[in-house]
Amino acid sequence: MKTQSFFIKYISLLFVLGTCFSCIKDTDFEQYDTLIIYPIVEANLVNAQEPAASFVDSSGAELPSISDQVIFDVFNSDFSVDNLIKAELVFGITNSINKAFQIKMDFYDSADALQHTFSIDIDNSPTNTLLFTEHIEVFENMNLLALKSTLKLEITITMISNPTSVILTPDSEGSILLVSKGVFYLKISS
Amino acid sequence: MKWLFFLGVFVSLHSQNKQLLYGFKEVPQQLLLNPGGQVDYRGYIGVPILSHIHFNAGITGFSAFDIFADDGRDFNQKLREVAYSMDSKDFVGFNQQLDIFSAGFSVNTSLEDKLFISFGMYQESDIFTYFPKDYAILANEGNYNNLNRRFDFGQLSVSAEVLSVFHIGVNKKINSKWTLGIRGKIYSSIAQLSSTKNQGSFITVPTANNNLNHIFDLDMKLQTSGISFLREPDVNDELEVLKKRLLFGGNLGVGIDLGFTHQPAPEWTIDASLQDIGFINYSKDVKNFILDKYLEYDGVQSVFPQVTSGQTAQDYWDEVSSDFEELVEIDSTTTSYTKWRPIKLNSSVSYNFGRKINKECNCLDKLDPTFQNRVGAHLFAMKRPNHLQWALSLFYFRKFYKNLQIKTTYTVDAFSFTNVGLGMSAALGPVQFYIMADNLLEYQNLAKSQSVSLQLGFNYIFKNNEN
Repeated sequence: MKTQSFFIKYISLLFVLGTCFSCIKDTDFEQYDTLIIYPIVEANLVNAQEPAASFVDSSGAELPSISDQVIFDVFNSDFSVDNLIKAELVFGITNSINKAFQIKMDFYDSADALQHTFSIDIDNSPTNTLLFTEHIEVFENMNLLALKSTLKLEITITMISNPTSVILTPDSEGSILLVSKGVFYLKISS
Repeated sequence: MKWLFFLGVFVSLHSQNKQLLYGFKEVPQQLLLNPGGQVDYRGYIGVPILSHIHFNAGITGFSAFDIFADDGRDFNQKLREVAYSMDSKDFVGFNQQLDIFSAGFSVNTSLEDKLFISFGMYQESDIFTYFPKDYAILANEGNYNNLNRRFDFGQLSVSAEVLSVFHIGVNKKINSKWTLGIRGKIYSSIAQLSSTKNQGSFITVPTANNNLNHIFDLDMKLQTSGISFLREPDVNDELEVLKKRLLFGGNLGVGIDLGFTHQPAPEWTIDASLQDIGFINYSKDVKNFILDKYLEYDGVQSVFPQVTSGQTAQDYWDEVSSDFEELVEIDSTTTSYTKWRPIKLNSSVSYNFGRKINKECNCLDKLDPTFQNRVGAHLFAMKRPNHLQWALSLFYFRKFYKNLQIKTTYTVDAFSFTNVGLGMSAALGPVQFYIMADNLLEYQNLAKSQSVSLQLGFNYIFKNNEN
């Protein structure tokens, strides 16, 4: 009986102590403070498709250039400003018009001041086959700051005289297709 | 967010399995698990607030140690490894119960017949969430390297509730073989939220000419009740609201527990119970949030207004941004709703042996004539939103003498295959103390444990007259 009661006391003590003094070792719960994720988001931006006839005015004369302005209030949003660490704007142009073009992209801030600009040269397609040109504009460091202050994007398509000296008419064949998307590298920390 | 993390990683729990308490007939709180459990005392009074403290937390797929180990490795790398090793069937659960008061007594309905009535009130919290893996992957990687991958938004399944339960049970020993019991419950939900019936997806599909099509298909719903008091500016007002809801002022529901114990022979015991067959109707302070939208986006189309006439690119961009604003616009309603309580099944088979028998007749002998040992197997199952949670235990119960009993269990469940538990009930005169904990092998470093369960309490027991 004595041995049993000693045994019981011992077990009970061990049990109670075990429950009270169980512990958490070799851990550092403060590591949570450094939680960082790096998602890469890809999204379409502006697409356009213009037939050759779009470059001819109502009188049948060639337009030297056409342009448009698009307001993008995503680049300068608080979220982008805080979390965007790099961006690539990917332009894919498919030309089947027998005319060379230059596509110019101008980035303006809210005060209409030019922040960034670049151009893409497009060859003419003499036999109206699809010619694909890709341009990737990378925004890092200073460029990235320019992008983050951008509110307005102006796209200008200018016709360039080509070696074949073809003049476009309302019946000219082909079209120019512009597809653009952005790849946004984000760093989001807690 | 930080507290959520801790909840998920550390406080994380192990279902509502109480394999140590179930069938521990010396402890009156076992009647909460099986109203048809055997009772061999005249009555009891639980020490208010201290008669049953239960805490249970568990996670599957990883342990806190996997992430927070102080091993000099990059925290985010460890987190990524854990997130990628888990799947959407992994879950985190937390359950806590606190007896506010409880008591029981036997009533003689005739010379032979006795009923045992037990009643009380307890408070319970339950949080349960599956791991929404696709959300984690999308947040961590984005869609860039995941074209054509369908991110399943239906993986979000979370529920949380705090409630109080008033209960009264009747237990009757029909004959030497059968004991039956039933317990009625009134639930008063203090606060509840659940989002368990979500559907939807997000996918980015590459199309011709280097183009992308982004398809958002959302069908999500969050139901809440009773959470508006959190916006009360004054803490005292909040406490007032809580007090009222604790005492039947919340959203009310009803339920029953059923159970039996069958002893086909003195050596063998078979018992089973169903707990929380019931529902709560949520009609007060209800707010439901609904997101049921579909959007395809493939870029801002058609620039150069001079040549396309009509819509300008600027208009189109406005249209796109308003489409996106609309996509995430959440509708809310105050429609009442009803939820079933998570039903639980317990069942066990056990074999009793080692009866103490004195060879000589001695009226003054105080030896306990009952069986001193019991071995058996116990099954626990519980309905969760997307699956049946289960646990299988083997147990050994030993009476050291009348005032000290110990039970040990080995449990296999979704959390681990190495769960050893130990429970003990000790009495000093009429005052009983019990404490039960499982996953003891992990107690040397709780951070490595995927589940923790602890129950303890004090009761005042009125024993049967021994003469």
